[in-house]
Amino acid sequence: MPEFEKLHQAILEGDQKSARALTEAMLAEGVAPMDMITKSMVPAMDEVGRRFECEEYFVPELLLSARAMKGAMELLRPLLAASGAQPAGRVVIGTVKGDLHDIGKNLVASMLEGGGFEVVDLGADVAPEKFIDAVKNSGAQIVALSALLTVTMPSMRTTIEALNQAGLRSKVKVMVGGAPVTPQFATEIGADGYSETASSAVQLARKLVAETAA
Amino acid sequence: MKEADLPAARRRVRDTLAHREPDRVPIDLGSTSVTGIHVSVVAALREYYGLPRQPVKVYDVSQMLGAVDADLAAAMGVDTWGIPRRRSHYGFVNENWKPWRLNGLEILVGGGFEVDTEPNGDIVIYPQGDRSVPPSGRMPAGGWFFDAIIRQNHFDPDHLDPADNLEEFRPIPDEDLTWNVNWLPEGEASGRAIIAGFGGTGFGDIAIVPAPGLKDPRGIRDITEWYVSLRSRRSYIHAVFEKQCEIALQNLKRIHAAIGNRIDVVYLCGTDFGTQTSAFCSVATFRELWLPYYKAICGWIHAHSGWKCFKHSCGSVERFFESLIEAGFDIINPVQCSAAGMDPVRLKKTYGGRLVFWGGGVDTQKTLAFGTPDQVREEVLNRCEVFAPGGGFVFNPVHNIQAQTPVANVIAMLNAVHEFNGVRHA
Repeated sequence: MPEFEKLHQAILEGDQKSARALTEAMLAEGVAPMDMITKSMVPAMDEVGRRFECEEYFVPELLLSARAMKGAMELLRPLLAASGAQPAGRVVIGTVKGDLHDIGKNLVASMLEGGGFEVVDLGADVAPEKFIDAVKNSGAQIVALSALLTVTMPSMRTTIEALNQAGLRSKVKVMVGGAPVTPQFATEIGADGYSETASSAVQLARKLVAETAA
Repeated sequence: MKEADLPAARRRVRDTLAHREPDRVPIDLGSTSVTGIHVSVVAALREYYGLPRQPVKVYDVSQMLGAVDADLAAAMGVDTWGIPRRRSHYGFVNENWKPWRLNGLEILVGGGFEVDTEPNGDIVIYPQGDRSVPPSGRMPAGGWFFDAIIRQNHFDPDHLDPADNLEEFRPIPDEDLTWNVNWLPEGEASGRAIIAGFGGTGFGDIAIVPAPGLKDPRGIRDITEWYVSLRSRRSYIHAVFEKQCEIALQNLKRIHAAIGNRIDVVYLCGTDFGTQTSAFCSVATFRELWLPYYKAICGWIHAHSGWKCFKHSCGSVERFFESLIEAGFDIINPVQCSAAGMDPVRLKKTYGGRLVFWGGGVDTQKTLAFGTPDQVREEVLNRCEVFAPGGGFVFNPVHNIQAQTPVANVIAMLNAVHEFNGVRHA
């Protein structure tokens, strides 16, 4: 099996040890890091997303594949930075202020990273000013907001308002998600997009980046 | 006591549990940790009904659920009564009550409730009230609930011992047993159906995995690590569940010997298998990892008692219903009709004769929290029309009523059930 396919398979199977070992071996052979990402990792995580959508994969499988992908990515990231390679886009992500729940947000962050995005993960219970600082520092095109609780959904609105007041709203697209969040709520608070699942978040982010570039 | 001689509320619940259509749809609010009301809403309801102003007791400080006392239960027309839990989620005993303020509201918490406010306004809570160890829960500044702090301090993936994940499962202490027995006369005097949850039968409940009641938990305590272990460390999970099941069966024998058939329903497990759109695992994984243990627990209960077995699982879980029925569960909660594949009409038609729907009354994520009273009424009437015929339905919203839910909506919900039942309350 060609090396690209082996790495693809290791990620698909959630085998972090193999994914790292294959990445190291391919680097030693002089394979370009960006080739590994575009030929193995992104297609593998797209396939993981597809399997998740059609319920061949569930949360444990998705988490394992994300781990394998991240394990390989850790080896590539310093080399990518040095080469000046550009990611598919930059996303600042976090669970909004007052909300400590981060499993859904972590799944989305992993899928975005697997989709070739550079992800700045601010964690949970993130104040609006932290999102603003992160957008300024990273030059992100997208801010992704998560909330699990009905009582913290209003923090999504205040975060968007804060981006507005900071003069950043026109520079970033905002996508939202989380158990109680609906497309209607996303529209009401002025978000640019809503995603119901972690895998569809990648499609949404790609669409939003394309809109930014247009 | 013969069924016919039972008080009306208890008979009503018994009828519906037996899939006989009762005189009216029974209502549960507050009998379990998944069918309760946030303490702030309990306080507001007491005010609405003109009941004596008093700080409300909170037995479940994690979700901050307020005790629904007899006067409030009567005002709302509640037909169930739950034995309060002796030990809180954070490991302290619910005795020696003391006042505490939650966002300005005075409430009562157990004497072992020990918290600190951090410089940023977050409140942290200590396991078993012991300030000498790191805190195990956090409420963000201005928040309404505590969430577990993940403490994965001794994790060595190459040297895992299932015994480490069993520290919180142990033989029921005599004082806990006595506590349950001592509460029963009050439940029986209430005339309502008696619900009990004794703990220890929640297999892999993600709220329990971080062990917020332990001072220094070992084993797999990180939520993500636990989820991946369901795929990558199945023999470990089996070893934990097998021993947990063994301990639980011994406890159930002792509990049953002490209380017999004086309760109607036993709340067994809150493990969530569903998400909004899908499931946490496949049916095949469920059947491999959970079914044998659920069968052992429910099987023992049905062979030795008249208790009905109550299973909670949020989300899109219709795919598991046949397996849950096979396991011996009688009741499913919270019936999250908004999740994928949870159409109430189809659920009632397919499983209505075999599962009691304890919940599904109104959506708490959208309608009850953010809708108008008219929208609440419409949804409640619709759900009652779907679920009530032939029995097998206990009215409860989809999960606990959350903080900041408008009281007008809760009243609209209750009025709609009473309207459906053709009775007036308060």
